[in-house]
Amino acid sequence: MIKSDLKNDLNTIKGYATMIKVKNLRKEYDGIVAVNNISFEVKKGEIFALLGPNGAGKTTTIKAILGLINYDGEIHIDEKDAKNKDVKKFIGYLPETVSFYDNLTALQTLQFFAELKGADKHKCMKLLGEFGLKDSANRKVGEFSKGMKQRLALAQCLLGNPKLLILDEPTSGLDALGAYEIRNKIKEMNEKGVTILLCSHILSEVQELADRVAIMNKGEIIAMDTVKNLGKMLDIQPKLKIEVEKITDSLIGKIKEIVKEVKVDGNLIEVSCSPDLKLQIINEIEKETKIIDFKTIEPTLEEIFIKMVRE
Amino acid sequence: MNGIFVIAKKEFMDNWRNKWIIATSAIFLILTLVTSYFSTGKWSDIGSTIAGMETFVILLIPIISLMLGYATIAGEAERGSLSLILSYPINRKEVIIGKFFGLCLVVATTIFLGFGIAGIVIAIKAGIDAAEYLSFLIASLLLSMSYISISILFSSLLKKRSTALGTAIFIWFLFSMIWGMILFGILVIKYGMDIIMQESWIAPDWYYIAAMINPNQSFEMFVAANVKPLQQLQRIYLPSYCGSFSPLVLILWIIIPLILAIFFFENRDL
Ligand SMILES: Nc1ncnc2c1ncn2[C@@H]1O[C@H](COP(=O)(O)OP(=O)(O)OP(=O)(O)O)[C@@H](O)[C@H]1O
Ligand SMILES: [Mg+2]
Repeated sequence: MIKSDLKNDLNTIKGYATMIKVKNLRKEYDGIVAVNNISFEVKKGEIFALLGPNGAGKTTTIKAILGLINYDGEIHIDEKDAKNKDVKKFIGYLPETVSFYDNLTALQTLQFFAELKGADKHKCMKLLGEFGLKDSANRKVGEFSKGMKQRLALAQCLLGNPKLLILDEPTSGLDALGAYEIRNKIKEMNEKGVTILLCSHILSEVQELADRVAIMNKGEIIAMDTVKNLGKMLDIQPKLKIEVEKITDSLIGKIKEIVKEVKVDGNLIEVSCSPDLKLQIINEIEKETKIIDFKTIEPTLEEIFIKMVRE
Repeated sequence: MNGIFVIAKKEFMDNWRNKWIIATSAIFLILTLVTSYFSTGKWSDIGSTIAGMETFVILLIPIISLMLGYATIAGEAERGSLSLILSYPINRKEVIIGKFFGLCLVVATTIFLGFGIAGIVIAIKAGIDAAEYLSFLIASLLLSMSYISISILFSSLLKKRSTALGTAIFIWFLFSMIWGMILFGILVIKYGMDIIMQESWIAPDWYYIAAMINPNQSFEMFVAANVKPLQQLQRIYLPSYCGSFSPLVLILWIIIPLILAIFFFENRDL
């Protein structure tokens, strides 16, 4: 409870501690502008998502933050220059294409990375267990399925208790259950105070997880806000679905005086309206008939996304 | 520092696990013993053995070292495992140096295991000149280290594993054959075949210097300068500066490519 209040405040309180600060980032690959002068900040404790179609520049942005590519612009992590190798001590990274050493076992792989990070090697087995790889700990990674490699990659991220997780499409290659578990894991880490930057083109996933979203297209950020505010901004209104006992023409007429478009399906009335008109409509209906059921559907990222990218 | 050690250890352990170290040591061991015994039917001393197998060593060590190193950056960058490593608290310089030391340790182990055991056998059977043998081991180590350095350099420059393999093959041909052929060709054009073939003829200094730039020939000169039977057997004339500068040339072949590799790798997109 406290945490969600805090999260709502994140967007309003200016100067809330910043984890990642990207300023005028630009990257060109032999003539192709992959990222064009973008700036954004990821606040401490939030889940921030980069959302965009293929080739939008999400992975490029993440690679720049990690110093894997040359770029123009400034990037700071926890107030230090991102190129400083010490900042990597508290970062966990999940690459888009996971690749390990085929002839090492899962356990040896994790131990190698633990050594690189100066993390406790004894926790490796426990981590493998957490990601359902306990029984495969002594198998060579070369024999692993794509999903198993993805799980190992996620386990690798958590070595040395990171404060910041950077996840490039965390659920790609996982089955439905695997993806569900990973989303829960991401939430769990976030509850513990870990800041998360993730990128994805799975809208529902971003909607479920992210506090704030930056929508990228063709190397630019075309919108950045909470899912809710993005909906408002584009005038995509919540849908109201009301099941009533009896529908009459006079009732429809009265609703149409409030909102222009009314969809009727059997005993179901469906309208799109802003929250302040919601009560008005309900009052009108209650004067005429009884309400059996009622629900509000918030705008989905899908709608926002499609609308934005088209424009 | 820790990063260099972890990377070096990983490179070494990889080659230990995949039996590369054992296999290569066995090749060196067998090569030496076969040359020492079977070429004459009785055990020959270490100097003659070195003289007998030197041509094979000059072909083998570059192949082995290039194969160890060609994919170390290009292959890992292409697969994506380097991106993950570099998201850890390690900088690029440390990755290159760690890989260099790890791979050098691999070849050093094979040289000292393979040639070392063979040396002990020969010492027991035919006696050994420790200085001669040691200079041969050092020369072999320097030669393999220079090829590891060269392979890390082009591996850092190239995007794909396949082009890196092509380059490794080219470099092997360049120093094993093309270089010598070109120099010889120039001599022939300049002086004519008849003169060159005269036994008393001595090539000009530029020829020796140009030859010495080639790490293979540097190795040969270094060994020839230190192993007496080789000089007698092959009846080669060697200016004295070749003996003293050849180890220096090999050391430059180790240091310069490594520095360039660090420079190119620092500026590479992963
Ligand atoms: N190594 C590279 N060399 C050349 N161009 C590249 C390279 N990497 C990315 N690009 C280009 O940069 C642009 C952005 O790519 P990026 O990988 O950042 O997209 P993305 O948003 O992560 O896409 P996806 O959802 O497919 O992962 C694309 O046009 C891509 O072709
Ligand atoms: Mg991507």
